[in-house]
Amino acid sequence: MIIEAHDLRKTFVAKRGRGKTEEVEAVRGIDLSVDEGEIFACLGPNGAGKTTTVRMLATFTVPTAGTARVAGFDVVKEAAEVRERIGYVGQAGGVDDNAPGRESLVLAGRIAGMSRKEALARAEELFAAFSLSEIADRPVKTLSGGQKRRFSLAIGLVNRPPLVFLDEPTTGLDPQNRANLWDEIRALRDRGTSVLLTTHYLDEADALCDRLVIVDHGKIVAEGTPEKLKKELAGDVVTLRLDDLEGARKVLAAQPYIKEVQTEGDSLRAYLDDGEHGLPALLRALEAENLAIRSISLDRATLDDVFLKHTGRSLRDAA
Amino acid sequence: MLRHTLLFTGYELGVMRRNLAWPIIGIMQPVLYLLLFAPLLTSITPNGELTEALIVFTPAALVMIALFGSMFAGFGMINETRNGVLERLAVSQAWRPAIILGRVVKDMLMLVLQSLLVLGVAALMGLRISLAAMGLMLLLMAVTGLFAANLSYGLALAVRDENGMSQIVQFFLLPLMLLSGLMLPMSLAPEWMQTVAKFNPLYYAVEAGRALFADDFSDGDIPIAFGVFLVLGVLTLTWSVRSLRKLAG
Repeated sequence: MIIEAHDLRKTFVAKRGRGKTEEVEAVRGIDLSVDEGEIFACLGPNGAGKTTTVRMLATFTVPTAGTARVAGFDVVKEAAEVRERIGYVGQAGGVDDNAPGRESLVLAGRIAGMSRKEALARAEELFAAFSLSEIADRPVKTLSGGQKRRFSLAIGLVNRPPLVFLDEPTTGLDPQNRANLWDEIRALRDRGTSVLLTTHYLDEADALCDRLVIVDHGKIVAEGTPEKLKKELAGDVVTLRLDDLEGARKVLAAQPYIKEVQTEGDSLRAYLDDGEHGLPALLRALEAENLAIRSISLDRATLDDVFLKHTGRSLRDAA
Repeated sequence: MLRHTLLFTGYELGVMRRNLAWPIIGIMQPVLYLLLFAPLLTSITPNGELTEALIVFTPAALVMIALFGSMFAGFGMINETRNGVLERLAVSQAWRPAIILGRVVKDMLMLVLQSLLVLGVAALMGLRISLAAMGLMLLLMAVTGLFAANLSYGLALAVRDENGMSQIVQFFLLPLMLLSGLMLPMSLAPEWMQTVAKFNPLYYAVEAGRALFADDFSDGDIPIAFGVFLVLGVLTLTWSVRSLRKLAG
């Protein structure tokens, strides 16, 4: 286990003007275990406590309660040992805009204990890996969002950490840059680096990670591989719009081939294993009760459906 | 510890070297004061000579760079609380005080360099001081910078807002300047102002500078100035490193 966290909690005291304070429970008891060499995702809407969780594991924020061991060391009592063994790429990137990327990278390498020569060589290595060689000497403020993000990643990897934290690594990137970054993250895993990333993109968690937790309101609501989570639910989902939602919900819930029915806004989502064969029966059942359908669609279940099942709302609405 | 401090200093000096225009503009103000204000002081000096006025005013011009330069050093760090640089450094292997101290050492070096340039201009205008006085004055500027820059970084990390920070710095600058005898010696001030000035650390810097320039090395204000700035420097450094920890909430 490269990360083992037990009942991590963080309560912030927020100022609310005129000397009043309010306690905000950002993380309310999170247990995590991440294996060596796996890409692990924390999926959840904004404000779910993902960033706070990562910051506690990366020794930035001290937990209010609970314990965590990262790379074999306690994040509070042995923070220095943890810091030697992690790379951390925060949401804001953490690249100095006023200097060329090479300077930032060499400084980061030397702080990690390398000589100037070693740091320069390591920088070259990373520039080659992230296609940054040509822009390494340009001030970072003149670069695009995708290029800056690659510099952030390179800086996070300068000390060859066995574990790297990526807090919303693809937020704000265009689809092409996003796909490239996914490839780079997969390449990290292939070289044996463990990755813990946070995201509010369902497709990202689905496409990229080996295992994930879904976090909402500071708690884990589901955990497993993307396949397992979706299978638990059912393979397919039928989305229906009709006038009598409640009546239809009762009818559908009574059908043996339907595993679960969820109401989402003005539509119903019925989960079933074999949509192609179940659909005709579903239509007949509604017909028999004289329930008029306004629209209907059949799709594969996604992690959004898992989120909906566990939280009662869609991730799209929550975010 | 020392290694990390010097690494940060070297990096910051590199950033400075690429933007040399700013520190040069930074010394224009004291140079202009030397050129356009020091001559006015000839009316209060015993023989009405410019060299006498320069002995009184040059130390003040130097303290002015510390006030208007180093006190604003922290502005750059406010952005670093947002762009993730400080967050990244906080979880790196860097010795935390070095993150602040490295920058402060850069500011001290800058201040000494700028002081040398201003001293050069004063020398051209006719100021003559001993090498010992100059060396001690530069050392005094270094410890003044230690305090002013640390205070500025501490403020930046505590306030974390450019508008708020500039208001606070402006609010303190004027009384600190007027009550240090920077423009006119405090000996011209009424009793109560002289008493209040004794609580202004910059007053000792200016007085010590004037004593040094007058070759009066036995003046009690010299050790007081060094002591005050060293102690305040350590206190403000501790404060800013603490504020760095608070970034995490």
